Amino acid sequence: MLETQNLTKIYEDGRMAVDHLTMKVEPGEIFCMFGANGAGKTTTINLMLNFIPPTEGLALIEGIDVTKEPLKSKEFVSFVSENVMLYGNFTAIQNLDYFTKLAGKRNLTKADYAAVLQSVGLQKEAYDARSKTYSKGMRQKLGLAIAIIKDAPNIILDEPTSGLDPKSGQEFLNLLAEMRDKGKSVFMSTHDIFRAKMIADRVGFMKNGKLGLLKTRAELEGEDLTELYIQYMDERD
Amino acid sequence: MLKDIIRKEIVETITSPKFVFTFLLCAVLILLSVYTGISNYAAEQKEYNAAVALNKKNLESQKNYQSLAGLGTKVNRPPQVLSAISSGVDEAVGRVATVNVAYDPSLVESKYESNPVFSVFGALDLAFIVKIVLSLFAILFTYNAICGEKESGTLKLTLSNKVPRDRLILGKVIGGYISLLIPLIIPLLLSLLLLMVYPNIHLTGGDWGRLLLMFLYFFLYLSVFFTLGLFVSARTSKSSTSFLALLFIWVVFVTIIPKVAVMTAAQLKPIPSVHEITSKKDAFLQEIQGGAQKKVMDWMQQNQAKPGEDPKVFQDKFKKYLEDFQQEATAQIDANNAALERDYQAKKRAQQNLAINLSRVSPASALTFSTMSLARTGLDEHQRFLDSIRTYKPIFSKWINSKMMQSIDFTTGAMGSVDLAEMPVHSFQSESLGKSLARTIPDLILMIVMIMAFFAGAYLSFLKYDVR
Repeated sequence: MLETQNLTKIYEDGRMAVDHLTMKVEPGEIFCMFGANGAGKTTTINLMLNFIPPTEGLALIEGIDVTKEPLKSKEFVSFVSENVMLYGNFTAIQNLDYFTKLAGKRNLTKADYAAVLQSVGLQKEAYDARSKTYSKGMRQKLGLAIAIIKDAPNIILDEPTSGLDPKSGQEFLNLLAEMRDKGKSVFMSTHDIFRAKMIADRVGFMKNGKLGLLKTRAELEGEDLTELYIQYMDERD
Repeated sequence: MLKDIIRKEIVETITSPKFVFTFLLCAVLILLSVYTGISNYAAEQKEYNAAVALNKKNLESQKNYQSLAGLGTKVNRPPQVLSAISSGVDEAVGRVATVNVAYDPSLVESKYESNPVFSVFGALDLAFIVKIVLSLFAILFTYNAICGEKESGTLKLTLSNKVPRDRLILGKVIGGYISLLIPLIIPLLLSLLLLMVYPNIHLTGGDWGRLLLMFLYFFLYLSVFFTLGLFVSARTSKSSTSFLALLFIWVVFVTIIPKVAVMTAAQLKPIPSVHEITSKKDAFLQEIQGGAQKKVMDWMQQNQAKPGEDPKVFQDKFKKYLEDFQQEATAQIDANNAALERDYQAKKRAQQNLAINLSRVSPASALTFSTMSLARTGLDEHQRFLDSIRTYKPIFSKWINSKMMQSIDFTTGAMGSVDLAEMPVHSFQSESLGKSLARTIPDLILMIVMIMAFFAGAYLSFLKYDVR
């Protein structure tokens, strides 16, 4: 489970990036966070992964305070960034092998890696090709494979579908759905309203560091999510 | 985990084009420089042997001590085998000194003197390759070690796992350093092999010790730039910024500081010019020579042979007087020259020491001075050799003056033939390894302090590094 309690971040220049954010992503749930650029989505992720310290409040992964026990908390989370950039001179297998070992998993064979790569839909010919030759979609798939093989109960994704073609985007969503079905908590920041509506169990709208509007899948039935997003963003604070 | 990080660093580097480029260039440059150095040494050794033989032949061809005194003897500086690795000041300073009664000896006929174009670019020895080229490679291997991973996003991905930052930086340091050493070690080992198999190159146990110490200093020097690269990489967020900053620091370290140090020392501790010293020596020599004729005439007038006195008695007395007079005049000249030289050398040494100490802020200077000392091609070894010639000069003068007088038969005017077996021989003992090593200790300490400071800086900066 992913959780924040009054999570606040004020940068050195005085800018409030995240303003007393309290939210929870339950096991088996996909939570999609919307917001304009600079709304605080990526800062929230950086706080959850302890890349930056909070000014106030808590970020918890499986109930573990990420500031107090950063290493322990990272055992229970996988991360996929917006633009997965791996070690370009490494093949998919080599990248997977390295990050799997960093995740503390050993004794996995090449066949295990191949199975994961197959599950994310990476073409076989690409397994032993240097990742610097990959398209963005292929890199995102490999990034997801790294997250899958870690088998952490929580997954954080930072705008993972931006720049993906429709087919790759759909395949990506299918994989996320599979992970949800396995009981994982998935937190995804995105601008991709169309895809988010297809997969999210809950959506949140973030503006000026505040999570202002929350909607469940049931509440979104019959709603035009794009219209809702524009309305919310146009509202005065 | 540390092992995985180290392994990843090594594999990532050795599969990159920059590694292939570095390896090939290192192999070519290192082997070429060592081969050229050895060939030069072999040629110099041949030249030295020929010069020694020629000097001996010239001395032997002298019919009497008078002509030998006029000719003097030549003292040749033997080439140092380790000049193949670090030529130091060997090519800039003279290789031969003429020792005779009249003049103060100095080393002349340097390689640069015979072909000044060499001095424009300097020697392409291994020390130069390490100082200039390999230090740039050390920067090339590290400038993006941390900020590059931030730019590519792999740092975020790595730290989203249970990876302590201290272990990550340690892994990067070890793995990166091993990757840097691989393209160096193979050509260096091959160059050692070259030294072993090249004909007429004989390294003593001491020489091997010196060589290994030089290699140690090479590695320390590269470690300075390696840790500096990591430090700057951990203080910047863009690879381009890091590279530019490192290039600027490299230029300051390698070219600016050593030159500015020498210029500053020249301003702070000025010394008289060589011409000034030479003209003072010449003036004194002329003064002695000018008064000599009058003194001899005066003596002859006062000590004329008495009527009925055996002319042999007068001749012996005159011979004795001339020998004593000659010895005294030479001793006066030597003493005056030595005093002038002492004063000049003391001032020169003070200026040199100031320049050396100021320039030591730069690791490039520390490397230059330490390898020169270990190769016995440094300023101190040159000075010691010059001092040994200046010590030899009065010994030779005394011997030749005495022989000249003793060999003249005033009755017949005949002059005795030369017996070189009695001629004092110049001797020079090279500095011991222990003393050379002691001379390099400040450089060793400076480089270790720099490595530790840069590593600590990189380590602490990375612990707080903004990975976003």
